[in-house]
Amino acid sequence: MDDPVPGSMERELWQRFRNCFESGLAEDFLQILLALMAVMFGLDRDYRRNIDRFSGRYQFRSEDGRIRVAALFADGRMQVVEGEIEDPHITVIFRNSRSLLNFLISPRQDILGAMLRHEVRTEGNLNYLNKFGYMAKHLQLMMPRP
Amino acid sequence: MAMVTLDDISLRQHTLHTLPRLAVLRQEALRRKPEICIERARHITRYLRFHDDPDDCPEVRRAKMIRYFLERKRARFHDNNLIAGSTTGKPLGAPLFPEFFALYLWPELEVVSRRKKNPQHLSARDADELNFEIFPFWMENNVIEVTRRRYGNPRCLQLFEKLVFFIASKAGCISHCVPWYRTMLEQGLTGIMEEAAARERLAAGRSAARQADFYRAVQIALQGIVSHARSLAYEADRLAGTSGDPGMREEYGIMADICRRVPAGPAATFREAVNAIWLCQVGIHAENINMAMSPGRLDQVLYPWYRRDIDEGRLDVARAIELVGCLWLKIADNVTMVPETSEEMFGGAGTVPAITLGGVDADGNDAVNDLTYIMLRVTELLRIRDPNVNARYDYAKNTKSYCRRVARVILNTRAVPAFYNDHANITALLGQGEKPEHARDYAIVGCVELASSGRDYPASSSIMLNLAAPMQMALFRGRRPITGEEQIGPRTPDPAGLGSFEEFWQVFLVQLDWLIDQAVQLNEYMGTVHQEMLPSPLLSALFEGPMDRGRDLIRGGALYNSSGATHIGFADVVDSLNAIEQAVFVDGRYSFAELLAGVRSDFAGPTGEAMRLYLRRTPRFGTEHPLARRNARNLVQHLFTRYQSFTNYRGGPYRPSYWTMTNHAGLGAVSGALPSGRRAGRVFASGITPVSGAAPALTACLNTVAELGGEQVPGGWALNIKYTPEADRTVMAARFADTIEAYFRAGGHQVQFNIMTYEDLMDARDHPEKYPDLLVRVSGYSAYFNDLNERMQEELITRTQYDLTGGHAVPLPPEAGGA
Repeated sequence: MDDPVPGSMERELWQRFRNCFESGLAEDFLQILLALMAVMFGLDRDYRRNIDRFSGRYQFRSEDGRIRVAALFADGRMQVVEGEIEDPHITVIFRNSRSLLNFLISPRQDILGAMLRHEVRTEGNLNYLNKFGYMAKHLQLMMPRP
Repeated sequence: MAMVTLDDISLRQHTLHTLPRLAVLRQEALRRKPEICIERARHITRYLRFHDDPDDCPEVRRAKMIRYFLERKRARFHDNNLIAGSTTGKPLGAPLFPEFFALYLWPELEVVSRRKKNPQHLSARDADELNFEIFPFWMENNVIEVTRRRYGNPRCLQLFEKLVFFIASKAGCISHCVPWYRTMLEQGLTGIMEEAAARERLAAGRSAARQADFYRAVQIALQGIVSHARSLAYEADRLAGTSGDPGMREEYGIMADICRRVPAGPAATFREAVNAIWLCQVGIHAENINMAMSPGRLDQVLYPWYRRDIDEGRLDVARAIELVGCLWLKIADNVTMVPETSEEMFGGAGTVPAITLGGVDADGNDAVNDLTYIMLRVTELLRIRDPNVNARYDYAKNTKSYCRRVARVILNTRAVPAFYNDHANITALLGQGEKPEHARDYAIVGCVELASSGRDYPASSSIMLNLAAPMQMALFRGRRPITGEEQIGPRTPDPAGLGSFEEFWQVFLVQLDWLIDQAVQLNEYMGTVHQEMLPSPLLSALFEGPMDRGRDLIRGGALYNSSGATHIGFADVVDSLNAIEQAVFVDGRYSFAELLAGVRSDFAGPTGEAMRLYLRRTPRFGTEHPLARRNARNLVQHLFTRYQSFTNYRGGPYRPSYWTMTNHAGLGAVSGALPSGRRAGRVFASGITPVSGAAPALTACLNTVAELGGEQVPGGWALNIKYTPEADRTVMAARFADTIEAYFRAGGHQVQFNIMTYEDLMDARDHPEKYPDLLVRVSGYSAYFNDLNERMQEELITRTQYDLTGGHAVPLPPEAGGA
């Protein structure tokens, strides 16, 4: 991570993360979430405990196929990969980024509604999504006050 | 000997003023907020991580795990209740069962305490332990994931995970049954363990290793309960020495003595018997999830101890009421852990431990006794959500005064108990091959399901099938609007090309049967997984059958081994069949293509609205129109025949039933429009209840539901009726009882009531602070109105309200959506 001004990337990510909630614009929510997660796992030891002995392979895909991104957790590290991976523990297919935001961490979260309306579908072990949901929610709770 | 000796069966001189302990305990109970309890999850995870021996057979592994937990479960006395023991470590606890759905709480571990609807408190320390220690262990090891791995992510599991076709309850529980406590009370758990030890020796002698293992498992698991009772005795002794309340010091001393004697040994007194049953319930909840583990016919089971104590002067009626009240409050000491994601489906539900009163005994004689009336009085005084109290009534054997007393309790509580017809229910169980003496000794399980007490392991909530799904799949050639272009069921012909209603009916059955096949298949897979993962030797020891057969309940050890399948959207689907037949094939008012277009567009525009209004005038379930009656009958008949054609993994049949909990609200909210004229997103009717507003005449409503009863409904049903309260309750109770009797004579299985008006419920919705503990019947269970989600509140408000005097529906006020 090259950061000419220490903490500036982190601040920018937090700001963009916050914008997702406040503006309702969630176009690149997933990318921001994953990038912020990766940064915070590097910076925050307590947060990193969540992945210390965790191995998980997540595939995210938008319904229209425009977004394909994977998150890999192994050896206490998180890696974000564009495209498809093999043998994910879980694949999350979402109608649009807004649906995913509502599904994962929105204050007006409607997980069951999103699933019942098939705005978000999953294939694979849901417990991995449950764990991811915790980590995403925790990140939200870590969000600095403006 | 007369079993009713009370001078006044209403026991009106016993009130909460004369029973101050109950008054205080009730207030405390109503004030309590649920707290998530991780004690069981912690201990069983530790056991499996550090102590489990994979070389043991599944029954023994499970038994050792349960004993490990019970030996470590802290003895607690949360209040001045006279009964020792608690299901969880919290005054009102929501225990976690990671074998099932507990991991769905994971995303909200840090916010569940402060979520808007029905928060459940969880300390930060416990949340951390769950996040870092407990949940990670179970990620690959809960029932769903073991099933997925073992069967290669089968199609039926994928369908279940779409949530809108059927719910496979085995992913969430081993539960829904009624143990038999008489043997435990007469012999003590020690007696059962001695029998198991003797049988183990015999089995080992003839090289029946599997049976020997089962008997060993029974002994190990029961030792767990005995150990926990001992812990309670020590703690009660300690409190007897330290409590500042002289009265409680004495009571703690008594409880310490009781816990030293029972349930290890036989119960000598009524109080010992009550506490022994409760400690066994605590043990059952250590082994299995707190979901509809129903104590059963307690007025029958406990009666000998009650009678003896009364006759010998050790007990009086007031003390008996107090003890029963304490038991009721103990039974209500736990709730289910409900993740926010499930609030839509199950929000506000209790754990539905059913208690059954009255009816006839195994010989067919009037079984109503003094304890029946005491338990009715306690129910009337406490007015709490759990236990789910049910009153059986045999109109030929039970007295009219009993029927009227039950009616009066319903009027006074405005909701409980539910009423059950012995004739219809016993007939249904006889039709399942149960012996007459076993069928007569039925009890209610959970919401409304039927089981011969302690002989029948009915797994009665195995399948919850959404009937609107096959209806839509029949309309759209195996697809549903909600799942888009995905081909779900068989590709059946386009209904627009069908020439008769009979042809459409056959198409509908193709989709329905296909969906049933999927649901049954998944139940079979999960049942097999349960047999490996979740044997239940403790529960098995409290049933008739497993000890004789040397086989666990979930391996088919009980005398009767059915699986239950309930249905959501029954009335809406019958009305849709009626509308299709009438509109397309009788009146010819619309072509099938036009009807499909109307449904697809959710009856958009003036043309769509005109169609919808016409469809709402086609024959409706709940009226005496022959077409509506025939379609309802045919659907019930078909479901019965189809389910009975399967044999489950325990060797028993599948039993259809009609109750919905709150699923009719949740699933209705995400279901598209139906040919009945129901718009997209509207709640379905509950249980077997006609659609709100569809059945304007009470008598026709009751008769047309009742005529569906009998052998074809072996799993039971929930019929919800709302009555306008009347000023003169005595007069109303008499008329009420007469209506019940007429409905039962016509064949009705069950009916439950809300005695309140549209306006009452709207006011409760708008001013929740005025109704902190308003009890309502949902669909087979009771709930506090304020705990229900908005959709379910709306469903209760708009349920048809009848005036009992005139027998007609009261028009729905415009502000509630009426015309």
